Amino acid sequence: MARILAVDDSPSMRQLVKLALSSGGHEVDVATDGVEALQVAEKQQFDVVITDVNMPNMDGIALVRELRRRTNYRFTPLLMLTTEATAERKQQGKEAGATGWLVKPFDPDRLLSIVTKVLA
Amino acid sequence: MATAAADPRCRCGTLGLSAEAAALLLAFAMRESEAPAVELGSALERLDQGLRPAAGAPGRETLSRDLAACVRALQFHDRLMQQLAVIRNLLTRLADHPLPQMAGFGAQRWEELLAALRERLAAGAHDELFELLVRTGGVGAVRDAGADQAEGSSELF
Repeated sequence: MARILAVDDSPSMRQLVKLALSSGGHEVDVATDGVEALQVAEKQQFDVVITDVNMPNMDGIALVRELRRRTNYRFTPLLMLTTEATAERKQQGKEAGATGWLVKPFDPDRLLSIVTKVLA
Repeated sequence: MATAAADPRCRCGTLGLSAEAAALLLAFAMRESEAPAVELGSALERLDQGLRPAAGAPGRETLSRDLAACVRALQFHDRLMQQLAVIRNLLTRLADHPLPQMAGFGAQRWEELLAALRERLAAGAHDELFELLVRTGGVGAVRDAGADQAEGSSELF
């Protein structure tokens, strides 16, 4: 079981990610944007962070960049989960330090298998 | 003397009013649909929790598949909200006034808008608004060509 932080400004998306991951036995915390995610991530260590890209206050790419600056998140899997699928945005995510790029809509089983893979 | 409908300033004003009214209607509709979507998500969470003790029971696998289908389907609501937000932002740019905060929005501005529209809305204003939206590129900017193929894809770096 892993401790996962799911970041999305959409309440229903937060619910769906939480539902998918907790049904796989993971413990899931949520945050509504990059700023809140950083605050939560500083209080406790997560094994995986899954974040949306377009969010108010701080977007997902900036969040990944910020997390990678912290020693305790340097090697943590950071996954982007977004509707964006352009090569340019993916490259931005990669350069920021993201571990992977998942395009919505996600399949719950597929999401679980990817989490398992990045945790291995 | 030019008629009111032929006066470009009047058309722009009507478009601005129409845009503001449309943006407000969209914002209200989006806000209205948020709570039911969250309610549906909560119901799915409860169903999932209720199903856990039944692991291995007959029919459990079918119910799990149905639940997964619900999770996938509900994500299209989120996508719709994102697309509507792009349209709302485009309309706001065309509006005469910046959109008021939804929380503090009273009936007064709405009544003013309706009165102004009733008085000034030309028959072709809707077409003009649509053309303006298309010209801004907002319709094409919502989704990239080929995005359908990328749906549900994943890539580990």
